[in-house]
Amino acid sequence: MNRHLSRRHFLNLVGAVGGSTAIYQTSRAMGLLPETGPAPNLDLKHVGRGTKKVAILGAGISGMTVAYELERAGYDCTVIEASKRIGGRNITLRHGDVIDEMGYDQVCNFDDEPHLFFNGGPARIPGHHRRAMHYCKALGVELEIMANDNRLAYTQDSDAFDGKPVRIRHYTTDARGFMSELLYKALDRSQFEMPLSEEDHERLRQFVKVYGDLNDDGLYKGSPRAGFKTGGYGKPGVLKETLDFSEILKSSFWRRGMHFNQTEDWAAPLMTPVGGMDNIVRGFVRHLKSPIVTDAQVQGIHNTGGGVDVVYNHRGKRRKISVDYCFNSIPSHFIAGIPNNFSNDYLQALADMRRGNFFKIGFQMRERFWEREGIYGGITHTNQEINEIWYPSHGINKQKGVVLGTYAFGPDQSNKFERMLPDERLRYAAAQGDKIHKGYSDYVENGVSVPWGRMKFLMGCGNRVLDENHDRDFRRLQLPEGRHFMIGDQISYHSSWQEGAFASALNALEELDRRVRAESSASSRG
Amino acid sequence: MKRNSAILFAAIVLTCTSLAAAAADEKPVIPDDRFVYCTVCHGVQVGGNANLGAPRISGLSAWYVEQQLTAFSRGWRGTHEDDRGGQEMRPMAAILTPAEIERAARYVDAVESPPAEVTLDGDARHGEILYGSCAACHGVRAEGNAALGSPPLAGLNDWYLLTQLEHFKSGIRGTSPDDTFGQQMQAAVTVLNDEQAMQDVVRYITTLGNDER
Repeated sequence: MNRHLSRRHFLNLVGAVGGSTAIYQTSRAMGLLPETGPAPNLDLKHVGRGTKKVAILGAGISGMTVAYELERAGYDCTVIEASKRIGGRNITLRHGDVIDEMGYDQVCNFDDEPHLFFNGGPARIPGHHRRAMHYCKALGVELEIMANDNRLAYTQDSDAFDGKPVRIRHYTTDARGFMSELLYKALDRSQFEMPLSEEDHERLRQFVKVYGDLNDDGLYKGSPRAGFKTGGYGKPGVLKETLDFSEILKSSFWRRGMHFNQTEDWAAPLMTPVGGMDNIVRGFVRHLKSPIVTDAQVQGIHNTGGGVDVVYNHRGKRRKISVDYCFNSIPSHFIAGIPNNFSNDYLQALADMRRGNFFKIGFQMRERFWEREGIYGGITHTNQEINEIWYPSHGINKQKGVVLGTYAFGPDQSNKFERMLPDERLRYAAAQGDKIHKGYSDYVENGVSVPWGRMKFLMGCGNRVLDENHDRDFRRLQLPEGRHFMIGDQISYHSSWQEGAFASALNALEELDRRVRAESSASSRG
Repeated sequence: MKRNSAILFAAIVLTCTSLAAAAADEKPVIPDDRFVYCTVCHGVQVGGNANLGAPRISGLSAWYVEQQLTAFSRGWRGTHEDDRGGQEMRPMAAILTPAEIERAARYVDAVESPPAEVTLDGDARHGEILYGSCAACHGVRAEGNAALGSPPLAGLNDWYLLTQLEHFKSGIRGTSPDDTFGQQMQAAVTVLNDEQAMQDVVRYITTLGNDER
C-alpha cells in the first residue's frame, strides 16, 4: 500500500466531509479543474453621481460592459463610437442592413423574416464562458442551444475519396474502428512502461473494443454507428461498407474537423442568442443610460496628469471631452495613427500586436435542401478555401435558411477573398459548395461577405501580440497608461471571443477600482 | 455660446503639452464622409500609421495624389501579389470616380499633420552623395517637380520611402506598361546598388525638412 495519499483518495475524503462543493473547490485549488473564469462579481466602489467622468472609446462588447458597470457605480460615462453602428464586431445581418466594408457598401438582401439572419462576427458561446453567460442573464438575452457539430454533416477533401463528400458519422466511426483494431492487435502488456495487471490488461482490451466497435475477434468490420446503408427500422439494417483506410488517412479531416469538437471552446453544447448575436448589444443598449455618440472618430488621446483629454470629430466639428478616466477599445493597430502622448513602451507593446482577418460569407438559400439530407444544424468541413458550411440550428422545416458559406481564418486563407469584389466572393464560395451539395449554387438567392480585415474602423480582428514579446507586452497593456486603459478582446488571452472582451473590461475595472479606493483612502487620510 | 466654444478651443490649444496634438488641433480638416475612409488607415489628419503600413500623405501635392490614385484605380499599382499594402489600397481608389479622385487629392493636399518621425538608421552623408542623381528629378530639397511627374519626397515616412525603393528595385512597383512615371523610377533606382545605399539615401531625405512645397 502506497504510504502517500493518492489525489483521488484525498478527494474522496474531502467529499465525505464537505460534500461535492468542497470537492469542487478543493479540486480547483489543487489545479485539477481548469480555471474557466468566475462569473463576474465586481464590487466597484460607488463614487457618487456626477463626481467622476469617463470616456469609453468604442461601443463594442468591452466598451459597453465598462459603461454598464461604471454607471451603476455612479460614474458619468460617455461612449464614443467611430461607426454609425453600435456593437463593434458583434454584428447580425438582416434584411436591409449595410455591411460597412472599406470601399464596398454591401446591402444585405435577405428576406425580411426573423429567422433569416447571419451572425457575421461572434456566433457561439460555450457554457464555460462565465462572463458572457453572466451578461446574457443580466441583460435578459434569451439563449438557445446551437449544434456546432453534426455527425450527419459532411467532410469533403479534394485529396481523398475522389473528392466526394463523406458523412462525418461514417468517417469518424471507421477511423476509430480501424485505429482500435490496430491498437487491439498491438496490445502487449509487457510493452507498457508500468506493467499492467492481468485484470487491467483485460479491461483495456475491452475498452479498445468498445471504443472502435470491434467484433469478438478484435476486428473492425463496420458498425451501425456509421449509419445503416439500408434498413434498420422496418427492415433489417444493412451495414455500410467500410471506407478505405488509406483514404481516411489521406483526408485532412482527422487534422481539423474530426477533433475540433474536442477543443474546449467548440465542444458541444454551444449557445447563441435567439434571433441573433446582436441581442447582446440590444440588451446593453436597453440597460445603458450613458450617451453613445456614434459617427464620432477619435482624433487625439492625451493624458493630462489628472485626467484624459479625448478629441473627436462629430457632425463636421472637432470636439473635445475632458474626463477622469478613459477606456479604449480602438483596435491596437490604429493607435499609431491617432495623436497621443503615450510612453514609448506602451506604444511599442501596441505596435507589437498583429491584426487577424477572419472572413465569413452568409448565403440565403431558397430551400433548406440540407434538411432533406437529414442535416439539422452543425458544420460540414472541407479542405477547400471556404473551410466550413454551417447549417442553421434555428428555423428548422421552414422554407428558407441562411447558411454560413465560408469561414476563412487568418491572412493565408482570407486575403484571397478580400481581394475579390463582393459578387466574385459569393460566386467563388458557391462553386466550392457545389462539390459538397449537388446544385448548391443554384439554391443561393443572395449573400453577404464580411471581411474583417477590410471593415471600416476595424481593419482586422483577433489581434494578438507576437509570441516572442507576448508576456512582456501583455503585462504592459493590461496596466493603464496614466488614466487610460486599453480594453477589448485584443487585451485578453481569448482574442476574437466575446469572453475575451468581457474579461478585458472586467480586468480594467478591477484595476480602476483598486486605484480609486487607494486615492480615496489617501485623500481621507490627508 | 459661440464665444464660449472659441475660448474653449483656445484653451485646448494652449493646454496641449505635445506639439503633435497642437499641430493637429490648430488646423483640423474634417473630411467629408467619403474621405473618412482615408483616415481609417492613414490616421488622423492622414499623418500616417506605421502599424498598418499606411504612410503619412499629408503634404503630398494634389497632382501626385491624383496621379497615384489613378494608378491604383487602373491597377498600375497595388496589383502585385507581394504588395500587401498596395493591395489594401487598390480597392479604395477603384471605387472613386475621376471627380472624387480630384476631390480626394485636394483634401489630402489641404491637410497638415506633425512631421514624420525618423525611424531608420543610415549614413546621411553617403546618402547625400547618392541623392545627387535623384535631385535631377525630385529637386535638391526633395520638393518634387510636377513637370517631370516626380513627387516630393521630403515629409514622407522614412520606412515608406525605403519600402517603395525596395518595391521599385524588385519590380513590385513600376513595371506596369501603362505606368510611365513608375517605369522611369524603376530604371532610376538602379543607381542604388544595395539595401545600405537605399537606407543612406532615405536617411538623407529625412534631413531635408518637411512639407516645403
